[in-house]
Amino acid sequence: MRINRIHFQFFLAAAIVMLFSFSAPHFLTAGNLFALMQAFALLGLLTLALGLTMIAGEFDLSVGSMVSLAGLCAVKLGQENPFFGVAVAAGLGIVIGLANGILFRALRISSLVVTVGTMIVLTGLSFWIAGGRVVSYENLDVADWLEKSILFALSPRSLITLLVFVLAWLFLGQTKIGRDIYATGSHRLAAEAAGARVTFTLILVFALSGCISAVAGSLLALSLATASATLGDNLMLQAASAAILGGVALSGGIGSALGMALGAFTLSALNNGLSIMGANSPTILLSNGLLLLGVVLFDSMTEQRGKRIFRLKQGHS
Amino acid sequence: MFLRAIGETASGPCYPARNAIPRKNKMQLARGIAAASTVQDQIVPSWLKTQFSSERIHATGLRLAALVLVVVAVIGLPAFRYPGNVRAIVYATCATGTAAAGLTLITLSGNLFMLSIGATSAVATLVFASTLNHGLLIAVLATLVLGGVIGFIQGLLVGAAKCNPIITTIAVASIITGLGSLYSNGQTILGVGDVSWLGVGQLLPYIPNQLLVLLGVVLVYEFLIDFTVFGREIRLLGTNPKAAVIAGLRTHSCVVLAYSLAGVAAGLSGALLASQASEGNLQLGAGLDFDAIAAVLIGGVSIKGGRGKVSDAAFGALFLSIVGNILLLFNLAYEIQLVVKGLVVLLSVTIAHFAARSSRK
Repeated sequence: MRINRIHFQFFLAAAIVMLFSFSAPHFLTAGNLFALMQAFALLGLLTLALGLTMIAGEFDLSVGSMVSLAGLCAVKLGQENPFFGVAVAAGLGIVIGLANGILFRALRISSLVVTVGTMIVLTGLSFWIAGGRVVSYENLDVADWLEKSILFALSPRSLITLLVFVLAWLFLGQTKIGRDIYATGSHRLAAEAAGARVTFTLILVFALSGCISAVAGSLLALSLATASATLGDNLMLQAASAAILGGVALSGGIGSALGMALGAFTLSALNNGLSIMGANSPTILLSNGLLLLGVVLFDSMTEQRGKRIFRLKQGHS
Repeated sequence: MFLRAIGETASGPCYPARNAIPRKNKMQLARGIAAASTVQDQIVPSWLKTQFSSERIHATGLRLAALVLVVVAVIGLPAFRYPGNVRAIVYATCATGTAAAGLTLITLSGNLFMLSIGATSAVATLVFASTLNHGLLIAVLATLVLGGVIGFIQGLLVGAAKCNPIITTIAVASIITGLGSLYSNGQTILGVGDVSWLGVGQLLPYIPNQLLVLLGVVLVYEFLIDFTVFGREIRLLGTNPKAAVIAGLRTHSCVVLAYSLAGVAAGLSGALLASQASEGNLQLGAGLDFDAIAAVLIGGVSIKGGRGKVSDAAFGALFLSIVGNILLLFNLAYEIQLVVKGLVVLLSVTIAHFAARSSRK
């Protein structure tokens, strides 16, 4: 059996868990594992949202700001009925995702440019809705239910995340549109020539990305019972790190739901372990940045090496 | 004499019979203006024609829009004319414009954006405040060196190691923000020393020294891009990376240079911000990433690389501060300004697309 990226992922996640369970005494307690899975519940969804666009060869920069806006929407509109709040937030996410997708595809420019614009607009909207304050959610039963402990480490919120990952695994691996996403990401012109619905796929991917990050944001806000305009700060960085750590290629066309879940888990475990060992937030930010840089460097090295080998083989044939 | 010589070499391969071309047309070739028709030239001066060519129409349109906006605001809004308000617009333009001038080099080289500008500038404010006791000049030089080093590292990563420019700069931003807040403990650093020359000093009324700094940066970078071999290689690299590699351009060094210069500009904008506030604080560079990117996109620098001028980004920054100021005069808060800024970015990207498409037809 060939050792591939997923094995390396499992090995890395296990290594980090082992490392912290030896060096931090409280790491393997039920309470901390629960906290770890709650962090994973948020980061996992965001990694999936960003990772889907990355597999399609694009990049959705507005993921973090969508979390803040969706959180505020869910808390403001869901005071009576939390399902209504989450549904409105998810709908908003789909609309904004569709706008992102349609605009960048119609203009034939990099999705980065359009999503930078959306990110600024969404940040402004969140500050406007919040009015510079922290909005609190009165119905604490919802938060209690979302944070309820099931099987000592899981909660409804982390179960939702795991369910979404299973759906994403089925979607990416077993459906035609899932294969179209990979084709679009690896070679757009070839995919178009082979009959993949490239435009539809790209717009769908952005709508999904908006929807998933909105759900993540609204669940986070409901379980915290508060929302503010800075809810999604620094999440962009973590989601990108987790996706790349999870084996999603920045050049597109490569990545899997399992890999992304492992990437998000590894990063959550790392941050959790560091913080129970007493690292402050600048140190964690610093270590996340170094990790992201290391992974990007590693990926670009292997990619360059792959290209060189490809060129050599072509030369011999 | 000089112009004529260029004209002759430029026309050499295309027109075997050199003397068949009138001298005036050679001059036009020398100025980089393509095909020359005969009659209309006398009516519309050639420089004006260049400004409205499909390549420049976005940038020119923005400058005209800024002018119209100013005229309308001066007539319609009495508060707009107050000296204090004019000064506020100028100060708001300076730091953003300087950072955007640096970002232009990155965009021209085909590497989209640099998302570490705000972080670089924020850390530079800390360094500025900490080194101010050695004198203003030393403090400014320290920010320049800091920015240059941070930019140089990113240039190596993007140019030589071929890392993705967006992810690399996001990672570097979080690293230096982390280092900065470890250094300052999240607190404000008060500078000990006199910052009045850079902070509030002005040469003439309405012309603060900060504006001179901005103009200096724009002129120097414009000169580097248009009149040095390195600058032209940066532009060519952005226009067509594959052709640049095949033609044997120094692609690695070009990217490293572009990032280093962008870092220097980000550091300098940090010095401007710190001297305005006369303190160093990581919050000072908070919105600078958005603003610089917005200025570059609105200014008409092509996001696909290779096309645009450094001064376009500066005018983009000016336009943004005028719009922000007018919104402020209508009592619209910071949030609405952000929304409008984002919408203007999306609008200008859309307009740029349609301008490019009409020029292809």
